[in-house]
Amino acid sequence: MKVKLWGTRGSIPAPGPETIRYGGNTSCVGVTLSDGSLLALDAGSGIRSLGIDLGEAPTRLHILLTHLHLDHIQGLVFFAPAFRPQTEIVIWGPASPDASLRDRIARYISAPLSPVEVRELPCDVSFRHCPETEWEIGPARIRAASVSHRGPTLGYRIDDGDSSLTYIPDHEPALGADLERLEEDWISGFALAEDTSLLIHDGQYTDAEYPGHIGWGHSALSHSLAFARRTAAERTVLFHHDPMHSDEFLDAMSAEARARWSGLGGLDGAVELGAEGTEYELPARAPSPAVTAA
Amino acid sequence: MTQRPLELILARNLMSALSTPAFLVDEGGVLAFYNEAAGMMLGKRFEELGTVGPDEWGSMFGPFDENGEPIPYDELPLVTAVRSGRPAHAEYVIHSTDGSSHSVEVSAFPILTAHGSQGGIAIFWPTELNADGSAPA
Repeated sequence: MKVKLWGTRGSIPAPGPETIRYGGNTSCVGVTLSDGSLLALDAGSGIRSLGIDLGEAPTRLHILLTHLHLDHIQGLVFFAPAFRPQTEIVIWGPASPDASLRDRIARYISAPLSPVEVRELPCDVSFRHCPETEWEIGPARIRAASVSHRGPTLGYRIDDGDSSLTYIPDHEPALGADLERLEEDWISGFALAEDTSLLIHDGQYTDAEYPGHIGWGHSALSHSLAFARRTAAERTVLFHHDPMHSDEFLDAMSAEARARWSGLGGLDGAVELGAEGTEYELPARAPSPAVTAA
Repeated sequence: MTQRPLELILARNLMSALSTPAFLVDEGGVLAFYNEAAGMMLGKRFEELGTVGPDEWGSMFGPFDENGEPIPYDELPLVTAVRSGRPAHAEYVIHSTDGSSHSVEVSAFPILTAHGSQGGIAIFWPTELNADGSAPA
């Protein structure tokens, strides 16, 4: 399984010289399964670059949406393969008592917010609510579970061979909870992340920033680290960077994360901040992922 | 491992922050949590008791009606709420492990989700008043 970060930013794109290394695009992670099947985790502005990278060849792609906040779907109408009839796209997402997934996404892909409507997309696109039970895409087993954020929100776990990827980009598991003391089955997202090879997790705020953002649906650094430690994730990538955080700021946050992780007894290099363009390869039968490019 | 439904997790987190006694049961009626305020009223902290099945918690603390007769488990508001998917309310007396009794009003409501009922919450309102007429903490 190959994983590439196409957008690591949260809330709103933050392009500019001050965010060039960690990136300014909003949430999107590309996943290539061991049989070549393609997944995109969320469709923030980063999916535009993923679409360009896929080129003109006929494509079948599954897009797994965690939720429908704009920073996770705003790239859909700029995803070039969606405008080619030879493309087949299956969009998965959370169910809601409000309306179907298709109708909720159509609120964005429709006038006056969009120049095109869902029905006008030339590709073969379908919408599916994530089932409560595990399902398969190619060789992978996929699990989705509701996690603590604002509105219906999912986290995902993808198991392919012996490797697993857990993706919970918007998550506030410490809201009203002590992650260090709580029983495992009472921690939001725990089952998705338990013993995972690679955990991509919300790391939006510093501990100093968090008190001003309680209940906004995101984690402070100490929460992210506690979640990673409790779930015994082999490697953790902190993600969904605040749009106000410059590369310089994130460098300092990264250094603090590494130091605190080491202080918790964690392995050096097992926690990092996600940077746009970084690729990870999760070997089918290896215990730990390795960074192959930055 | 089996993960608790998010709705129960969030309910427990909220209840943990309340000073109003509150019970949480899962969809099978198993007592999943009660908060510190409930623990003070019952004379035993949840951490000391742990999760217990419906038959056990239904009889541990009473409850009793105004005549001192035990209220059948099937008639408890929380049981009614979980089974019927409707809110329920009652007044009764519960016994604390320290031997004291408390008159309470109980309001229970089900936790209904897109995936069906996940359990229920009961809130206890002590009806005895302090000497100055204020509600007990």
